[in-house]
Amino acid sequence: MTTAILRGEDTRTSKNRMNLRSIDWIWNVRGSISVPPGQSRDAAFEKLAPLFGQTGTRYAMAGDALTFSKKDQPAQDKMSVFDSGTLWIEAGATGLVLRYRLVSRALLFCFMLPLLFLGFAGLTLAVNYVQTPAAGAAKKPEKPEKKKPDVAMNPIDKALGAPVPDKKKKPKSEEDKKPTPTAAYVFAGIFALLYVIGRILEARLVNGLFRRTLMAA
Amino acid sequence: MSGVRVGNRIIGGQSPVTIGWENIPKVEGGPVKVFVFTWFQPVVLFALIAFWYYAPNSIAKASTAIAIGIAFRAAMLLLEWFAPRYESWRLTWKELMTDLFYVGLGYTILNLIEGFIGSDAIIANALKSFDWDKFAWFTGLPLLLQAFLIVLIFDFGQYWMHRGMHNWYPLWLTHSVHHYITQLNINKGAVGNPVELFLIGLGLGGLFDFLPRAALIAGAFGLAIGTYQHINVRFNSPRWWRYLFNTTEHHSLHHSQDYEASRSNYSNTFIFIDRIFGTCVDGEAELLGMEGGRRMTVREQMTYPFTEAWKTMKDRFGRTSSGGRDLVAAE
Repeated sequence: MTTAILRGEDTRTSKNRMNLRSIDWIWNVRGSISVPPGQSRDAAFEKLAPLFGQTGTRYAMAGDALTFSKKDQPAQDKMSVFDSGTLWIEAGATGLVLRYRLVSRALLFCFMLPLLFLGFAGLTLAVNYVQTPAAGAAKKPEKPEKKKPDVAMNPIDKALGAPVPDKKKKPKSEEDKKPTPTAAYVFAGIFALLYVIGRILEARLVNGLFRRTLMAA
Repeated sequence: MSGVRVGNRIIGGQSPVTIGWENIPKVEGGPVKVFVFTWFQPVVLFALIAFWYYAPNSIAKASTAIAIGIAFRAAMLLLEWFAPRYESWRLTWKELMTDLFYVGLGYTILNLIEGFIGSDAIIANALKSFDWDKFAWFTGLPLLLQAFLIVLIFDFGQYWMHRGMHNWYPLWLTHSVHHYITQLNINKGAVGNPVELFLIGLGLGGLFDFLPRAALIAGAFGLAIGTYQHINVRFNSPRWWRYLFNTTEHHSLHHSQDYEASRSNYSNTFIFIDRIFGTCVDGEAELLGMEGGRRMTVREQMTYPFTEAWKTMKDRFGRTSSGGRDLVAAE
């Protein structure tokens, strides 16, 4: 049972396990790699160990599994996107197979970001709504707009041929001054796309990293 | 580590740094690459200034500036990818995601808040309440002078705010978060606690009336000079450029793990402000960050100024306090 917990296998009721398993792919990366023929379990873990010798990383062997956790890992750590995980080796049909389950709070955070930015968009709309005066409400008597004298273009700019400033500039309407939710929608879209890229890219990168490490002479 | 004496200070006693332009490596490669990386910065700056100076009124507007800004940053990301200054600063997915999160905050929630309590909003209200006029004479100056003054006034204010952040503990708490980054990338300037991002955006620009075109040219200065502060690309910046403008070399030294090095090069755009006030150090560093280079999580970046302030208050005023901490430990 201890090993099962280390591998991230939920030991609670099967219904709960099913529920969690159906969504935990959002922040969990699972995968497997064939251990090169002739390489023993101990030799494979020995090769992988330096990957966990980074600043902020702690790891331990427990039974036939290697567990690690990271805290404040620097950007230079090749596995910085992951915060904890378990790697274990088991016998497959054609030889030993390294299996892993890695947990990433960064992936979960990115997954949630579109919701946060949609929230910002909602907040912007709410602020606009609150600031809009009710229809029929008495308009505040506005001070008469002072007419600004036209500023003559500086002779240097005239000589250098800069375009003459537009004098028929429309004053900004209340609508123009309102904050707009467009940026929040754009960023929600960016993070949705970034999540998809990250979920695929980081799974491939870590698989490649483990594979190269095991294959290295 | 012995460090290098610069004036009265020893720089690089705690973490490796390179001091002096003559010791900074040059761009390596064929003649075309060296030519491009030598002239890229000045050509882009003068091209942007010329564009905004002569663009017809129908083009010279904020939406064009936003489009150019996004395209320029995207191009710089590509340049970082193909010609990184340091492999150890190479952008990862996690770093990009975190950086963009802060860029996103700036464009959305912080922008919304600044609309109510930002310096421009406060100054606009003050001018209205006291029935003062803006400094209208400003619009009569030559366009380029207006643009230069807009950047200079903002940069001068930012220099003192930034220097204050490195010298006064409450302000340092907000700014320290930005110093936990361990690499420089094009969007790293946006990373920091939101309180700091708000403070660093304060300026006196709202007092002046200037031509919209001058503001666009001022934006070009920011884009074509300020952007390089956090870039992971090596340029052979011309001598006059690095004498006048802040560069990634200057700023990497400011982010060094070396305490003395981090107390230099405070300006955002014009490094000559640092030269005037004696805080400029010409050099560079690769090893960046605080506390040996630990990277803060986003959660800690959000809470650190408040949790640290609470700890300090408890140490100083708490009943169980036994001595109190050094209140200027952050310097």
